Amino acid sequence: MAVDATAHAPERTMDVALKIWRFDSSTGERELADYEVAAPEWVTLLDVLDLIKDQVDGSLAYRKSCRMMICGSCGMRMDGGAVLACKVRMYDIAKAGHVPVISAMGNLPIVKDLVVDMEPFWAKFKAMKPWLQPGYDQPEPNQEHVISQERMNVIHKESLCINCGCCVSECNSMESDPEFLGPQALAKGMRFVGDPRDAAKVERLDAYSSEHGIWDCTRCYFCNERCPKGVDPRDAIAKLGAEAMAAGIDEDMGAKHANWFVTSAKTTGWLRETELVPKTQGVVSSIKQMKFAMGLAVKGKVPPPIPPHVAEGVKESRALFDLVKQQGRGGALGIVQGERALSRLEHEVGHASGGGGDQGVGSRDQADITPGEEPTRKRGGE
Amino acid sequence: MDAKHDVLVIGAGCAGMRAAIEAHDAGADVAIVSKLHPTRSHSGAAEGGINAALGNASEDDPEAHAFDTVKGSDYLGDQDAIEILCNEAPGDVYQLEQWGAVFSRTEDGRIAQRPFGAAGAPRTAYAADITGHVLIQVLYEQLVKRDIKVYEEFFGWRLVVDDDRCQGVIAWDLLHGGLKALGAKTTILATGGAGRLYVGTTNAYSCTGDAMAMALRAGVALKDMEMMQFHPTTLSPTGVLITEGCRGEGAYLFNSEGERFLERYAPNAMELASRDVISRAEQTEIDEGRGVEGNVLLDLRHLGAEKIIDRLPGTRELSMVFAGIDPIHEPIPVRPGAHYHMGGVDTDVWGLTELEGLYAAGEVACVSVHGANRLGGNALMETITFGKRAGRHAAEWALANTTVAVPPSQLSDAERDLKELLDRGNGERPWRIRDELARTMHENFGVFRREEQMLRQGEIVQGLRERYENVVVEDKGDVFNSDLTQALELEFLLELAACMVVCGVARKESRGAHARPYDFPNRDDENFLKHTLVSSDGETTTLDWKPVTMTKWQPQERTY
Repeated sequence: MAVDATAHAPERTMDVALKIWRFDSSTGERELADYEVAAPEWVTLLDVLDLIKDQVDGSLAYRKSCRMMICGSCGMRMDGGAVLACKVRMYDIAKAGHVPVISAMGNLPIVKDLVVDMEPFWAKFKAMKPWLQPGYDQPEPNQEHVISQERMNVIHKESLCINCGCCVSECNSMESDPEFLGPQALAKGMRFVGDPRDAAKVERLDAYSSEHGIWDCTRCYFCNERCPKGVDPRDAIAKLGAEAMAAGIDEDMGAKHANWFVTSAKTTGWLRETELVPKTQGVVSSIKQMKFAMGLAVKGKVPPPIPPHVAEGVKESRALFDLVKQQGRGGALGIVQGERALSRLEHEVGHASGGGGDQGVGSRDQADITPGEEPTRKRGGE
Repeated sequence: MDAKHDVLVIGAGCAGMRAAIEAHDAGADVAIVSKLHPTRSHSGAAEGGINAALGNASEDDPEAHAFDTVKGSDYLGDQDAIEILCNEAPGDVYQLEQWGAVFSRTEDGRIAQRPFGAAGAPRTAYAADITGHVLIQVLYEQLVKRDIKVYEEFFGWRLVVDDDRCQGVIAWDLLHGGLKALGAKTTILATGGAGRLYVGTTNAYSCTGDAMAMALRAGVALKDMEMMQFHPTTLSPTGVLITEGCRGEGAYLFNSEGERFLERYAPNAMELASRDVISRAEQTEIDEGRGVEGNVLLDLRHLGAEKIIDRLPGTRELSMVFAGIDPIHEPIPVRPGAHYHMGGVDTDVWGLTELEGLYAAGEVACVSVHGANRLGGNALMETITFGKRAGRHAAEWALANTTVAVPPSQLSDAERDLKELLDRGNGERPWRIRDELARTMHENFGVFRREEQMLRQGEIVQGLRERYENVVVEDKGDVFNSDLTQALELEFLLELAACMVVCGVARKESRGAHARPYDFPNRDDENFLKHTLVSSDGETTTLDWKPVTMTKWQPQERTY
């Protein structure tokens, strides 16, 4: 049944089918229901849900508002991954004959059909103290902060967040630890930590570094992959980690773990695994694991700690370390730089061998998002 | 009564949150009732910016801003309100920045400003092309900081009027079901506009004029309801907004013949003429066969990739997702679409309505600073300045007065009416009525208006209202019953459509967004330099007029 539900000029329609996981909270029953409607070729997933609600079943529940990727209402899962329904064009899917499975977002309790309870999401958001805490350099009431675009660019991606919850839906850490602050809240945290106008940076880093915080992220990158707005929450968490360590907040096991990777790689070019456990967990905890460690040593799974084995290409490792350091204070660009710095290094090495010297080392395209540089009142002097 | 507060704000967009913050800071116990979580509000979809004479990009002053606004309003704006807006705007924008709004910056580190339509200076402060999003975020942050109570996903349905004053609202709890009576000494309406009256609109699904209709039912008059702004650049086919910031950054509009047709309509301002002028020009080009499949073309290509990516990233994303077009390489097909209601609940310059205890701010209100045509960038500014003013006045009144009463009969009446709707088993579902309303409003009450079409639309709306009497809500449940709330929204829209038609027929001239080229092509200051005021007893609507407040500026011929 083709229905002109949109009243645009006559247009070509297609048949679109969906399977939707319905949920009735009064009975607790779940059911995978099949739907098929005729729809204009330009429809999005949200448009199709509207057609189903109008023409097939008025009780279908989902959130929606702006239908233009800015309000963040219509987060849901399609074929097991979080999407904004208004952002998914259905043409290719329908034409390929694929029938996607639509379900509520993950990691949040389902209220009805595709509607989840966002309360736990907002509780974590609020736990970040998500408001600017003015400092001593607060301008007079009828003035603005004078601050360069370059310095504000540090929080460009984080400030794009629309709180849709797609990252939280896919977060692996949250699945195992529901109390984990999660990618959205932490990205919001970075939005303030990186804001040169905020005076509570150290308190924030301290709070965000505690249990269920920065270091509980497993770096699966699903949040980056699923964010519909390019916020890249995992990158924000990496930046927070680097900022925390630069601020001397490195007592968490996660921070120690990361620090040891750096030290180990910088000094010998290897990850010295034998020392990794005591450096991360402390001596007492390591002694308890001695038996396990001995077992590994016997089977040749870990090298003897003494004397330290220095890798042949240790210079390359050290160059990498220096490069990362140049990219942002204390390697604030952290994790992202892992890949980018590597490709960059190759490029620079080639460049250097061509006689270009070492100028331009460091990623040019990242140079404008260097968090934590010292405030400057006027721009440039060059 | 389920709860009681000094001040209750209905709606949590920029105006509602700004009002709540101000009322809180004035010492009142304030709560917000909103059918959406605050950050989902449609203020967040505002793109281009917010107008204030900061003078960061070039010399500027509030008086120049005021004159541009008066002229833009086609002299229907109330000049006292406009002066207040323009004078308070800079301080209010600085405050947003100090709260943490992530504005774009000038070379010397100040809030960046760009040119916008019909403005004599680059006055529109912006955050790339997501200014509304940035403001919604910062206001919500300030709301959280103050721990202001929000009744999230509560659908405001009826105002409580007792003892000749407004004493709160009766709202439907979407997540759990049930009507709740929320008492308040003062109530501020801030639910935004009613763009869903039209099939082609930039507005969210939630922009259904709720509080305009609630005020109307409470006996409060609506002002200038015929004044619906059509934005010149809405994306085909979905109606999604393409910001005026594109033209502010230098984009061109072309017809099918490759002509920058605005040469013939606004030879000086060209693409930066006011919205009503450009929408009419586009519609004329399309009607006369120089459109491209019902659109004209917005060309950004000469701006270059860097500028587009830097200043207009949201526009690029919207074009790519919804039209499959990358504006770096191709022009964007656009056409006029319903965008902003200049009309709304009649208020004074403190947001106070004629009903004691009831205020309105933002798009739901008509102060009126926009008159017959709003300038781009002035809506966000209005939400902030008049949200603040309404919040302050409402708090002061509430703190000076003590009692609140919600008569139990009002809740039981509402419950009975709702039960009757939910119990109805046989009849039509609302969506066909909704679609017919939106399609016919577009046809008969759009960019250009003819007397006979408006009269026909009046009959159509009457017929739809009769059909609405028998609509069926299919979902009978309590939990997240959007089938129910969408039906209630449709009833709001139908009541507003009836008002708009009455006002449109009565205004026998062309002024701003109300264009009648076939019978009254000119502005008629002698007879119509005045506001329409419409009220309703539930069955019939009554029309009245109200003079425009003039301070400094006498009407002149309006050209761009």
